Amino acid sequence: MINYKKINIWYLSSFLISIIVAIPIVTVFSSFFETTSKYSSILQNTFLYEYILNSIILLLGVLFLTFVFGVGCAYVVSFYKFPGVNFFKWALILSFAVPAYIYAYSLTAFFENFGTAFSILKNFLGEGDYNSFIPKFDGMLGAIISISFSLFGYVYVLTRASFHYQSQNLIELGKNLGFSKKKSFFKIILPSARPAIVAGLSLVSMETLSDFGSVSFFGVSTLTTGIYNAWISFDDLVLANRLSFYLLIFILGLFTLENFSRKKAQYHTPSKGGFKSKSPVSLYGYKSFLAFMFCFIVFFISFLFPVLQMLYWTIIFPKHFVDLNIIQLSLNTILLVILSCSILISFAFISNYGNRVSKSKILELLTTFSVSGYAIPGIILAVAFITFISWFDNNVINYFNFNTIKSVFIGSILGLVIVYFVRFYSLACNGIKSGYLKINYSIDESSYLLGYSKFKTFSKIHLPYLRNSILLIGILISIEIIKELPITLIMRPFNFETFATTAYIFASQDLLEAAAAPSLFLILIASIFILVTSKYILKD
Amino acid sequence: MSENFLEIDNVTFVASDKNKVSNVSLNIENEGDVICLLGPSGIGKTTILRTIAGLEKIQSGKIILKNKILSSKNFHIEPEKRNISLSFQDNCLFPHYNVIQNIEFGASRNQKNKKDLTIAEVVKFLHLDHIVNKFPHEISSGEAQRASLARSLLSKPDLLLLDEPLSNVDQSFKEEIQVKLKKILNELKITTIIVTHDSYEAFYLGSKCGIILNGQLRQYDDPYNVYHFPNSVEVVNFLNRGILIPAKVTGENSLENNDLGTIKGNFIKHYPKGSNVQLLLQPEDLEHDDKSNLKLEVVDRKFRGTNFIYTLKTLSNLLIPVFVHSHHIHQHEVDEKFGIKRPINIDHIVCF
Repeated sequence: MINYKKINIWYLSSFLISIIVAIPIVTVFSSFFETTSKYSSILQNTFLYEYILNSIILLLGVLFLTFVFGVGCAYVVSFYKFPGVNFFKWALILSFAVPAYIYAYSLTAFFENFGTAFSILKNFLGEGDYNSFIPKFDGMLGAIISISFSLFGYVYVLTRASFHYQSQNLIELGKNLGFSKKKSFFKIILPSARPAIVAGLSLVSMETLSDFGSVSFFGVSTLTTGIYNAWISFDDLVLANRLSFYLLIFILGLFTLENFSRKKAQYHTPSKGGFKSKSPVSLYGYKSFLAFMFCFIVFFISFLFPVLQMLYWTIIFPKHFVDLNIIQLSLNTILLVILSCSILISFAFISNYGNRVSKSKILELLTTFSVSGYAIPGIILAVAFITFISWFDNNVINYFNFNTIKSVFIGSILGLVIVYFVRFYSLACNGIKSGYLKINYSIDESSYLLGYSKFKTFSKIHLPYLRNSILLIGILISIEIIKELPITLIMRPFNFETFATTAYIFASQDLLEAAAAPSLFLILIASIFILVTSKYILKD
Repeated sequence: MSENFLEIDNVTFVASDKNKVSNVSLNIENEGDVICLLGPSGIGKTTILRTIAGLEKIQSGKIILKNKILSSKNFHIEPEKRNISLSFQDNCLFPHYNVIQNIEFGASRNQKNKKDLTIAEVVKFLHLDHIVNKFPHEISSGEAQRASLARSLLSKPDLLLLDEPLSNVDQSFKEEIQVKLKKILNELKITTIIVTHDSYEAFYLGSKCGIILNGQLRQYDDPYNVYHFPNSVEVVNFLNRGILIPAKVTGENSLENNDLGTIKGNFIKHYPKGSNVQLLLQPEDLEHDDKSNLKLEVVDRKFRGTNFIYTLKTLSNLLIPVFVHSHHIHQHEVDEKFGIKRPINIDHIVCF
């Protein structure tokens, strides 16, 4: 039941925002009530199981690698002191700046026949048939490696934050119980960080299952490819929506299972008292060297390798660099970033504050539903948005004999920003929400009791308090938008390019060397953003 | 129109479905009066304050302050428009402002109010000088509580509500702060409701005390009466005032107990001769006398600094507390016999 007494301007704003975000998601769900084309049965009899099997293999491979590298690096830099540890703490998050598809280009460029590896060997050892010795990372293996090194940062950042806030008391407790280091790690440290690790892996799962750039580049057929084929090749939007619904259910199922397996265990340290900061153990000799090498290798493979590969090509093929309209691409990217960030952060703020003030369970539920857009592949969100606008135009706008609105929303900056909004709303909304969780509700009450109105409480108490969170969220959204590919490809206006679309277009034409310069710029801009916020990313 | 400064008329305060304080009627007659509410944890004392402050709504009755209805079933003035300040029990300082900035938030309200209290004065009397530039996470919970109290005092409200204001404050400051707080509240005529579980704090600070038990306001009276003339067995038990022993009324001023014999004193309520009653026996009602022939067995002895509380067992296995000054020469060990002076005289006899 809706409690009408709770309805005020904040409630209505929050309700409206959640409804807007939910439209494409509802469109995806509504595919169950519509008929699909014959492709549906053809697909079921032919490639569907291959898509599912490939998706599962890809997911498991990526989850394994991101777990090993993410947790491994987080553990080493949190619990030990060795040369370079402070550098690696933030350097390891630079992998966020490298999208999986650009990693895929680098991997192919380096290991392909007569690629960079071949050139290096030829320069050092002279002419020879090196191609047969150089390993090939293509197909499924290439996709797993590209996605893993691009995404392990999620697991690293969240696990490290969890380790950072783990009390020394926990570790000392293990020692008192006579646990070895290995036993302490598996029995105390790792289980305590479980929610953070799972949160990181869940983000990795969603990104992996919705990845389009690298799987299409390596020709791996996954559910996302199936969705794309259903829409592009068979023009069956309903089936595309339905497949992505299956994808969503699959993801949700995984995490519900994990949630159940936790039962009632709690993992956080009580905030009042009892917390003792950790004192990292200094490593010497070969142990110090091994820790350094582990971090360096992960840093090198995840960040330096693609950057150096792209830099190498940009240098040896300067023509592509000169031809690149950097100013225009930068302006386009900045325009999208500023528009999207402003709208996302403002709306997420209004929505969160509306929820907080009204304390409505219905609104809370609606918000939770609307943020699930992050789990839906970008392609599908774009397609669902186009579907909705077409339906609305044909059935509502047409009915009133108004001018068509398709051109306003499809192939326009407005449409592009709206779909970004749906896709990244969860990032903004959850970011602000987690900031709000730190503000005890009695703080609001204290403010009211000092005579401050709801708006004044919002502007004088909440906004200054959440300043850092806003900066962090803004930059995280910017990084995502700079790297975003499928939505931009589908929704952008004619001739409107970003670094990501330019790189993709060259790569899809097999002009990897031309894709190097825009890829390099993309990584450079994203890296600057990451460095600016590394302090906050590592803390939160 | 109400003649009282604050009037709570038949209000049910609801904390949860199971936890409510029903049909409370309570008045504060004059501006500047301080009243205290006492009761066990989780009984709904905080809910009463929250409701008066406007943070919770009411379903029945009404709350009137200075002849203006604040809350009724169909009417509710928002908390920010009530000019009521509530100092929470837990730290509710704004985490991104330092202590002095937090206090200034209070001072910025009602600047034209006549009640004259400066930030410097409050900071000094609450011993906050050394932490004014610190942030809430850098100070102890007792310091945070004092800073919150300072903020509330400086907001110069029509009604000040304090929820366990000194519960986390160090014992060394507590009494001094109580004295100064009382002085400030009196001088500035700040009408205040204090919720506390410390009966001595309530008796000292409040001109009236309300005892909340079992979802009801059981007694609302001045502290002396609450202490000496508790109106129900529940209040006796809550204040831990002594024990109830069976007795028979034998005359206008006397009772008879099988173990203690005749007890004389003034009844505060009339009971017919021959009626069986429960007599409230308080630790200070009995006097130690080694020469007495009424000897009881010591089963426990508690050292309380200035005094001992002996627990004595009667022939019918009643356990009776007796107060003895700790400088008393003759101390008794457990299992020894303890003499009680006869005849037993009690100033005012409370029976149920």
